[in-house]
Parts: sequence; structure tokens; C-alpha cells
Amino acid sequence: MDNKTLILGNGPCAVAVAENLLTTGIEIVIATKDDTCGLDESADSEALKILTETRLISCKGSVGTFRIEARQNNKPVTLDVGRIIIAEEDQRTSNFSLYGLKASSTIITLSQIKDVFHDSSRKKGVLSEIKKVIFLTGLVKESTPVIAKEVMLSSLLLQKDYNLQTYILTKNLKVAGDGLESLYRETKEAGTIYIKFTDVVPDIHQGGEDDIRIEFFDEITSKNFRLTPDMTVVDETIVPSRYATDLAKIFHIEKDVNGFVQADNVHRYSVLTNRKGIMVAGPSKDILADDDQRIDAENAALAITGLASRETEIKAEKAEVHEGQCIRCLTCYRLCPYHAITLNARVTVVANACERCGICATHCPRGAVRITDLEPGAMSDLITTDTGMQTQKTFMPFVVAFCCGRSAAQARELAICMGHRLPQGLRVVEVPCSGAVSYDHIFTALENNADGVMILTCHKGNCHSEHGNIYAGQTVEQIQEMFSRIGFEKERLLIQTLASNMGTEFARIADRFEETIMKLGPSRLKKN
Amino acid sequence: MADKNVLIIGGGVAGLSAAVELANLGIHVELVEKSNFLGGRAIGYACKAIENTCVKCGACMVEEKLQSAVSHSNIKILTGSQVQNISKNHRFTASIQQEPLVIDREKCTNCGLCLDQCPIDRAILQGFSKNNHPFYAVNKERCLYFKDQSCTICKDECPETAIDLEKKASEHTIEADAVLIATGFQPFNPKDKPYGYGRFKNVVTGLELERMLKQFGRVKKPSGNKLLQKIAFIQCVGSRDAKLNHLWCSKVCCGSALRMARLIKERQPETEITFFYMDVQTFGKDFEQFYKEVQENIRMIRAIPGDFYEMDDQRLKVNFVDNPTHETTEEIFDLVVLSVGITPIENIGTLSRMFKIGPDEFGFLKTDDKEISVSKTGVFTAGTVQGPMSISETIAGAQSAVWKILKYFGE
Repeated sequence: MDNKTLILGNGPCAVAVAENLLTTGIEIVIATKDDTCGLDESADSEALKILTETRLISCKGSVGTFRIEARQNNKPVTLDVGRIIIAEEDQRTSNFSLYGLKASSTIITLSQIKDVFHDSSRKKGVLSEIKKVIFLTGLVKESTPVIAKEVMLSSLLLQKDYNLQTYILTKNLKVAGDGLESLYRETKEAGTIYIKFTDVVPDIHQGGEDDIRIEFFDEITSKNFRLTPDMTVVDETIVPSRYATDLAKIFHIEKDVNGFVQADNVHRYSVLTNRKGIMVAGPSKDILADDDQRIDAENAALAITGLASRETEIKAEKAEVHEGQCIRCLTCYRLCPYHAITLNARVTVVANACERCGICATHCPRGAVRITDLEPGAMSDLITTDTGMQTQKTFMPFVVAFCCGRSAAQARELAICMGHRLPQGLRVVEVPCSGAVSYDHIFTALENNADGVMILTCHKGNCHSEHGNIYAGQTVEQIQEMFSRIGFEKERLLIQTLASNMGTEFARIADRFEETIMKLGPSRLKKN
Repeated sequence: MADKNVLIIGGGVAGLSAAVELANLGIHVELVEKSNFLGGRAIGYACKAIENTCVKCGACMVEEKLQSAVSHSNIKILTGSQVQNISKNHRFTASIQQEPLVIDREKCTNCGLCLDQCPIDRAILQGFSKNNHPFYAVNKERCLYFKDQSCTICKDECPETAIDLEKKASEHTIEADAVLIATGFQPFNPKDKPYGYGRFKNVVTGLELERMLKQFGRVKKPSGNKLLQKIAFIQCVGSRDAKLNHLWCSKVCCGSALRMARLIKERQPETEITFFYMDVQTFGKDFEQFYKEVQENIRMIRAIPGDFYEMDDQRLKVNFVDNPTHETTEEIFDLVVLSVGITPIENIGTLSRMFKIGPDEFGFLKTDDKEISVSKTGVFTAGTVQGPMSISETIAGAQSAVWKILKYFGE
């Protein structure tokens, strides 16, 4: 198993990851698309290799044995590494169009005003001729503390060092960051005027190129105002870089709703991805303050170290592909949330990357992928009804609940602790993921005298296997449709979502389902 | 690193997350928790998923960290315990005072009979997680036995003879190579605010609402089971408050309150929810969409109301300036939820003296960690003892503290 770590990126976060890892003696390679590296290149040593002007093309293999094809200056490069950390920078899009504005010499972006501060010759020229500066932020789209901080710092500088009058026009001022409320007070004391909008937004007219007029009705004084700034600074939206998005594709990593390279899933806190051995830190995964980027860099370094020390640990049985039955339909390859299936001469499961969610086994049309202890046969002992229950005169529903081990199975234990009395005929079968529950499991339960079957799974967006709960939902829907067609009560099959901390809700769901089954009476599929 | 061990003070999200990471690396952890139950404040938080979809509040991750910590052989846990003093001579030596463990962990089966039989309200406390074992604890503040030895019902009724009311406090000495302070935060006490908290029954804090939702899955009116129709959330209670010199945003209250509001709206659609705020803070990666849905379901008023009055029927009357009309409006609510802020813990001074690290201007405790080279003293902090942060930030921060500890050991 190879500890060698590839770091992708060149910004402060990537550099911090590298500096942290260099202290561990783990061999690292930094690959950046830029022509220079932020890390001191003289640091290039046996433990550190720097590849500039390098873009990744593809990645094969899995944790410990990644093989990466890249191009450096259009020459092909092959890299063999054990772990990968994506720490690419984000990028910004200007919000001119949101406010109906066109850029000009006095209508500029937040990044441009920051550049002016750093450029002494321009600073003199641009800022000496103006008196009134307006910042437009978060008026159409909600902003973030990262942007708010830059707006406030810029405004403070203009107000204090250049004696200009600044206005900040916003809706919700984002102060949920370290020190931002204090900064807000400081800017106000320095003379910055805040105009906050709630239900309306100001009318912004751009007459000529540099001619701008902002009119609004002030909600507090109930008066109409007009502002004609000498300079207008427009905020920006932080988005993932194109290259980071490309990397997500190359590595088969789930993205969030905004395209950042990490699924919006609590199981990925803080730098994990759906792929073992691939971490994502800093601006590749979210909009983060500088301190949070540093924390991310440390988390990534820790995750690499942790992987190294836990390598020998062999967990429970993993999925296996049985060669004779496999027809290379690639269903498992497509569905595996961890990308733990490799296609070489034969289709194989990489044991180290497999999290035994069982999705491959459930969906293989040939039954060629198996996790022995999750097979319906292996579970039937758990499912078989207690014979004592059958002798009772009154009907007591026998209900099998397939519960995800990360959520519902724990919620059940909490329900018991909290003193909820669960239905007597409830039999819980714990599965590693509800995605492991197949037709066979459900019918095995019904054939073994279950009057009803429940699948209790994680909430959408909370599945450790990303889509296991969705697949379970599809399975249930298909069987229910089949039930309706053959005239069997589809109410005997139920899927519900739960989290591990929902003891009360578990009890409620179990009670209600028992009631439903009570009304339906014994199942016709019952053997006795 | 297997010969090293770390003392962690505080068994909340930060302490547990750090403990699990250290333990996985083969480092021994001594975890000292003041209260009877591990999990900190956040273990009492409810899952706020709506429409079967996770809203990423992180509450279930606390459960997961707790589960990993209690089952880890490298983690030793002392609940009901506090560090009395600490000295350093190469290693740290800490003396720990542990309250009497009245309920025996080995014998207790969590049957709950002690709670059922106890005549006094809140004299037996209940845990929040299945990993809180025992799930019950005797509250010495309220228990009659600890007052005047007049009642021994729980002890007499316990079928497992797990309760020993005469159990003595114990002392422990822990030696450690590094110390992590993860003592969390104090929720702002709103009793001095003009909202009648503590006097009016139907005024609760956001944390109390979290616990209510976790326990019952619904909101109930503390004054009794009468119709609950109108709920008001008041934001920034004890945060962003210049009069208190609380010049910080507590970061997490907008997310917690709005997620709870939407959950209540889904489960009890007959409720009407009004949200009083200054600025709605961005939380979560899908904030844009979430906030849009909030505005469709919840009445948003950008003002913080003044005084509250309790009416004869225990509903609450309040005056405020309404948004669209800008007129002073009087309205009556059945329940008022105060989003109390994150403030430093009360004994921060003691901790700061004990470990010789100064609190910042607001009273939070940060080790100087801006530099890559870390604390030379072997004392580290993590979690909300440093200042307001969310569950996800706390986990990341705790893991970053672990990294710093590793570097400290390496140097």
C-alpha cells in the first residue's frame, strides 16, 4: 500500500497541506496547472516533487494504487500514488449582470478594488479623484461572510485611509464569521453608511459608461433617496474553478448543488469524499474563510496520516464478483458509490475501497456480485417468525423492518432507551445500507410469514453511500406497483426515512405500521 | 505514538471528535466530562430533516462520534468529573474529582423504573442517546435524599440494585502528555432580557425547543396542552448586542431556528410562525433554495421586539414594527422561542488561570494557533470554548487540534 500523496493545487490551502505533510516524512507530489509553484521550489527533495504546468487527464485504480495520466507542457506524465488531496483554488464571477450594470473605470468588482489597494501607482490616480463609493452586495443573491468581510475591510480602508464616504447597500449582512460583528461596528464608527433592504431593492440606473444613479425608498425614514456615487464596487460570487470541476469528473467524486467538489453530505465532514484515499480541502469544496482553509489543510494531513496507520485493519467481508456469472454489464461499476469496482481482464471489487453497502449485489442482474452474510438466505434466520407468536388466537402482526445500521437501527435502540414500547411482532434486520435490500430480501421476509415489511433508511442527502436510500425507494416502488397489479395489498410494504437520533419517530412509525397491518389482517403469502 | 496519552476536558462534539481521531492513531485518551452524560449540548439537538431530506444540521454526527468514542478501547471516560488542579513537570498531572456515581453502570439496564417512581420532577435526569449509559442519573440538586435523606424510592425500587445513594465521591489522578480543553459554551441566559424568560411559562430558548423536538417530535406548549397556533422566534438574544459587549454573531442560531421552524411547519401545519431577525445568516450549501422556501412558509419580520407581556391565558403579547407597513403592531403569540447566543462558559477564568492561557477580549479561549508551529505548552483548545461555531466546524476544528497535538509530540 503506497502512502505517496498527490496534492493538486497551488493556492494557500494546497501549500499548507504540503507543508503539513512534509513534517511526516510521507512522500508528496504537487501538481499544479500554473507555471510556478507557491511552495518554495528549492524545497524539492526526495520527499517532495513539484510538477508545474501539469493537468490531469485520467485516474485509474483505487486507494493505495492510483495510476494517474497527466500532461506536463503537453508531454504525457504517469504518476503512481496512494492518496490524493484536491486543494485547487476557487474562482469568482462578477455580479454586474445581477444589478443590470456594465463594467467601467468607475464601476468595478470587489477584486478590482482590492487590486487597487495593492498597486500604489493606481491607488493615487483612481482614489484621489473621488469622494463617494458605493458597495453593492447581496442585494439579488444572498452573499457569504467571506465576501462580506472583504466588503467591510475595503470600505474601512477607503473611509479611514482615503477619507472617502462609503456606503454599503445590502439585504442581509453576513456577519457569521470570526470577528465580523466587531468589524461591522468598526466600519460604522469610521463613518460607513449601511443601507439595508428587506422587501425591496434599490433601482440602479446606469446612464452613460460612468454615470450611475441609485434610487430607493428608505424603509426606516419612509423617504426617497438618490445616490450618485463616484465609484461603485460590485460584489462577486465565489464558484468552483473549471479545473476543480474537471477533477471531480476524472476522480468520480460527487459534487454539491453549487458544483463544489464534495457531496453536501454530513458523512463527508470534513475533507472526505465518496472515494477512499481522495480528500478535498479548502476552496475546492466550499466557500471558506482563510482560517477555515488552514483548518482544512490540517484535516487533510490528518486524514492521510490516519489512513496510513489504519491500513492493516481488515473489516468485515467485502463484495466479491463471481467470475463465471459475470457478463460485464457494468451495472456494479456504474452504481458503486465508492468507485470500488475495477475493470481489467475481469471485473473485480477493490476490497480496500469497498464499504460493503451491498448496492452492487442487489442490482447485479446475474447475481454475480455477492456479500455472503448479506444474502437473503443468510438473513432468513433473522427473518423467520417466532413460532410462539403463531399459536396466539388474536392476530398479532409480524413485521420485518430492514434498518440501515447508520440510522434506523440506532434510532430503534434510542426508542427503547427512551422507554417507547415497540410492537411485539417487530423484527429488526440491520443492514449496512438500505441499498442492500433487494427483491429477494423483501420476498424472503414475506415467505417467512411477515405480514408487513418496512425499509427504514436515511434521509435524502444523508446516505453514506449517496444513493442507497434512493435505490431502496425505487425497489419499493416497483414492488408496490407489482403488488397493485396482482391484487396484493401494497400497504404491506413501507419505506420511511429516519436519522439515528430519532427514537420517538421510530416508535411512531413502527406503531402506525403495526396499526395498518392490523387492519389488513394476516398476509395471504403466509405459509401457516 | 502509542506511549502517549492526552487528557481531554469536555465530552461534547469537540472532545469526542478529537478523542476518536487520537484513539484511531493509537494514542490513549482520558476524557473527563463534567455532566452525567456525554455528547455535550448538541447531543440534545433534534434531527431537522424535512420532506424526508437531510438539512445538514449535523446533529446525527454527534451521535456517530459518541458511538465511536464509547466503544473505543483507547478511550477512558470519566463522567461527572472535573479537573481540580493540574501541574506540569515534563508531563501533566491532573487531579480529578468525580461525583458519586449513584447509578452503577454495570448493573443498570436502563429500564427507567427509577424515573417512573421518583416523586420529584427532574430529580432523575434522562440521557439523550442510546450511548448515554446509564441512561439515567440522579440530580443531586433536586433529589430528596441529597436534601434530607427523606426518600430512597429509586434505590428500593431498582430491580437490579444498581442504585447506591450513599456512594462517595472519588478522586483520580491522570498523567498526560498533552491537554485539550474542549469545554464548550454557555447558552446566553435571557432572564435579564425583557422577554420574561423564567417568569412566563411559554417563553423557551432555542436549545429547549431542540430538546423538545428530539423528545416528542413535536412542539408542545409548556403551559399545557392547549391549542398551539402562533409561534415567534426571536433571533440574536445575547448575540450582536453592544450593551452586553457581545460583539459577535453566534453563527448557528439562524440555521438552528429556521430549520426548526420549517420542521414544525411540516409536522404541525396548523402553526403560524413569525421570525424576528436583524440579518439572516447564510448556512448550509443549499442556503439559496432553503431561504426561498423559508420565505414562502414563515413570516419574516426584520425587527427585534421590545417588551413581552403575559396575558391571563398565558399567551404572550408583544409590540413590534411590522415590515411592509412600518407601523407598530401588537400581536399575541402562544409560544415564544428565544434564539439564545453562544457565550463563554462561566468558569473560563479558572481554566485560563489553571492553564495560563488568556481568554480573548470576549472571554473565549483560543490557543495561539495562527502560526504553523504550534503551542509549545502542550495545551490546546477546540470547539466552542474558542467562540461560536457549528457542529461541522467543531468537528473540523477538533481534528485540526489533533493534528497540532501530533506535531507537538513530534517536535
